[in-house]
Amino acid sequence: MTMKQRILVLGANGFIGKRVVDALRSSDWATPVAAGRRAMPVATADAQAYLQLDATDPDQLRRALDGVTGVVNCVAGDSGTIVNGARALFRVAAEMPLRPRIVHLSSIAVYGELEGDVDEAAPPGAGLSAYGAAKLEAERLARGAGVVVVLRLGIVYGPDSAQWSGRIARLLRSHRLGDLGNGGDGYCNLVYVADAVRSILRALQGADLAGQVFNIGLPDCPTWNEYFSRFAIALGAVPVARLSSRRLRIESKILAPPLKVAEIVAGKVSPSLMRLVPPPIPPSLIRLFCQEIRMKVHAADKVLGIQWTPIDEGLSHAANWYRQ
Amino acid sequence: MIIDSYDLPDGQSLEADLCIVGAGAAGITLALQFAGTGLDVLLLESGGRGEEPDTQALYAGTVAQARLHSPPDRYRQRRFGGTTTIWGGRCMPFDPIDFETRDYVPYSGWPLSREALVPYYAAANGLAEAGSFAYTAEEAFQKPIRPLIQGYESAHFTTNTLERFSCPTDFGRRYGHKLDAATNVRTVLHANVTQVQLVPDGGSVDRVSVRNLRGNQFTVKARAFVLATGGLEVPRLLLASRDVQQTGIGNRYDVVGRYYMCHLAGTIGAIKIDKPLSSVWHGYEVSDQGIYVRRRFALRESTQRTLKLGNFIARLHHPRITEPRHRNAVLSLLFLAQSFIPYEYRMRLSGPGPRSVGLWLQHIRNVLLGSTDAAAFAWHMLRDRKLAERKFPSIIIKSRANLFSLDFHAEQCPNPLSRVGLGPERDALGMPRIAVDWRYVPEDVDTVSRSIALLADDFRQSGIGSFDYDPDRVEDEMTRYGAYGGHHIGTARMGVDPRLSVVDANCRVHGVGNLFIASAATFPTSSQANPTLTLVALTLRLSMHLKTFLQRPLPGSLSDS
Repeated sequence: MTMKQRILVLGANGFIGKRVVDALRSSDWATPVAAGRRAMPVATADAQAYLQLDATDPDQLRRALDGVTGVVNCVAGDSGTIVNGARALFRVAAEMPLRPRIVHLSSIAVYGELEGDVDEAAPPGAGLSAYGAAKLEAERLARGAGVVVVLRLGIVYGPDSAQWSGRIARLLRSHRLGDLGNGGDGYCNLVYVADAVRSILRALQGADLAGQVFNIGLPDCPTWNEYFSRFAIALGAVPVARLSSRRLRIESKILAPPLKVAEIVAGKVSPSLMRLVPPPIPPSLIRLFCQEIRMKVHAADKVLGIQWTPIDEGLSHAANWYRQ
Repeated sequence: MIIDSYDLPDGQSLEADLCIVGAGAAGITLALQFAGTGLDVLLLESGGRGEEPDTQALYAGTVAQARLHSPPDRYRQRRFGGTTTIWGGRCMPFDPIDFETRDYVPYSGWPLSREALVPYYAAANGLAEAGSFAYTAEEAFQKPIRPLIQGYESAHFTTNTLERFSCPTDFGRRYGHKLDAATNVRTVLHANVTQVQLVPDGGSVDRVSVRNLRGNQFTVKARAFVLATGGLEVPRLLLASRDVQQTGIGNRYDVVGRYYMCHLAGTIGAIKIDKPLSSVWHGYEVSDQGIYVRRRFALRESTQRTLKLGNFIARLHHPRITEPRHRNAVLSLLFLAQSFIPYEYRMRLSGPGPRSVGLWLQHIRNVLLGSTDAAAFAWHMLRDRKLAERKFPSIIIKSRANLFSLDFHAEQCPNPLSRVGLGPERDALGMPRIAVDWRYVPEDVDTVSRSIALLADDFRQSGIGSFDYDPDRVEDEMTRYGAYGGHHIGTARMGVDPRLSVVDANCRVHGVGNLFIASAATFPTSSQANPTLTLVALTLRLSMHLKTFLQRPLPGSLSDS
């Protein structure tokens, strides 16, 4: 019998990390070692397989990497955490006698305000957000490390996606999002969460992938307007509202700042209170909805061989999750 | 990018792969299909981003019978976005029968079937922002929607077909940002094409001459040219370009400008439904996508064939606004507020006879007695139409007595004597102004008369109520407001035979290798349907043809030089 590979999942309490751990656990080739900042283990019966660690601390990482053949870096957080975590991980990994395969999760945010069809060779555009700049810097560090596979994820949606399913569902149900006209003509580079996880596992297993970068997103992605309309129908949040650019300006310029403050305050008091605060629609989101960037995913199709979940199927799962 | 001819040096010669004349529904649709391709596209628009009286006046012309046709500079807009800046947004596809050669409709028959357009209708619906391409109640809704009239069944009419409504989308405002962002598409504002210049043997277009109202001019050379200027300006441009073909381009057989059709429309009779109020729904439904849709009576194709009738639809409508006997505060309010309503929509509020003080007083009385209803209506129109991005499409008045009139919209037969020609006057750019001589034929009156009679019989026989009208008044009612405004069709009709048509099935002018027309001018017949959706679908089909066409170099074209 072949020994199962030990795969360290950093950021294992997160939306994607949790699912990667589950997928590895149910595989016949890997044993996950979940690692996260929080003390509480992820929902696992196997407390032995959970490490609490600070992913920016090289010493802790060194211990965690002992005996693992692969690492999935799902660490989220502020810019410092992203960059410092990546730097520490790649440096420590390079010191290991048997260098592990690292799958590093990056983001479409590295393209900045670029528009049009973009493949992995496209240079980053102007207008990088702080998050995008941190992700880009982490990618730069990854290139130096050599054995890293970088996955640039699009808009990851599906059950448990607080950002791109939960928040959007709340906004659709309150008719604060819908058909945005010009304001929703940008492309929504959706990735169903199971497809993202599948691409991570393929990147761990595939031969000769070291140093490669892959865009991960649905081919022929819809526009944000299409996404909102189809998700609203799946949710039963109908009829879909047509919103004017004036309304969007009011949302982003007038309503968003106080709502953001309320969200932060409520978050500090209690997570359940936070759920009562209507989600803000910040200017960055309004800009994203207009951005006509379409990630080309030929490489992921060809090399990783992902079978993409049809959008209506993914939206149906997301809607069922939200309703529950 | 979008530029202005006022910023171009005088006398310049521009070059492109494709030159599109007119940035309305067709021109913008076409240009969008080429955005991001490797082809260099020039989109020439006469107007600017808003209405400009001097530019709009370039559309002025004469009409033979003012009673029968609106002035040519009405219902069309010479500005970026074209007439979509003022359209009502009603969308519906042409029916299969509209494409057929019908022995009882002279000059009928398209050189393509409806199947040829089907692949493009869904995308056209998307561009018009009219939701899914679902035009029956069963296709558009998962759950049954309210019937038009409970219990109404007819061998002659269906009530399950729908009209869907665009926002209404102003194509310039909606898609201008895409054209502005497209580096391979140059949209030039204030660029009036005054002549289409053929090569000496007349076999292709060499260039077009362009002028603006400040006296500057330039020329455009391209591998292919598309006139996307609407059913009145297309024949004007073709007829006015006479330096090689003496009778005008594509007009060897005197077809250009003939067969001019609009639609035949009017409001007639008094309908009383003898059923509970809840059993009648003549207003709109809203689809899950948020689109307003509405049922109507549609003359079945089998009935059209059997009885040799043109295409016809009708809707339940409120009583005539001008007559205060309706005692309806909302209708009287509309009568009193008509000076605030745009010309194109005001026409149908005006009735015959003198506007006496007594008439006004009676309307004021109606408003005062029903002030609550009037206030509720005013609020509804403010919220759902004036301020709404997707506008409530029209005025729907629910009669408490189940009283209605019948609003009809019918196909007009092609008629070579109905025409758009050139008059003796010239506009500020030296272009001949058009002279409109719109005519209808006895078959048109017959279609409307017999269709209305069938509907009245249906009402009587089914026992749902009564429909009283004066059969002798049908012709008067269908011409009360003249030709239906804004639907300018047939003046450069499509066909196989150059003696009876101007363009072929690919919208290419017979005998001119690189000149195409994207306009309702190419429709050989008019259907019951409003033309915009089919125009956009036909333009999408043309874009596919042009992409193939532009892949091969033309003899003597720029690509060879």
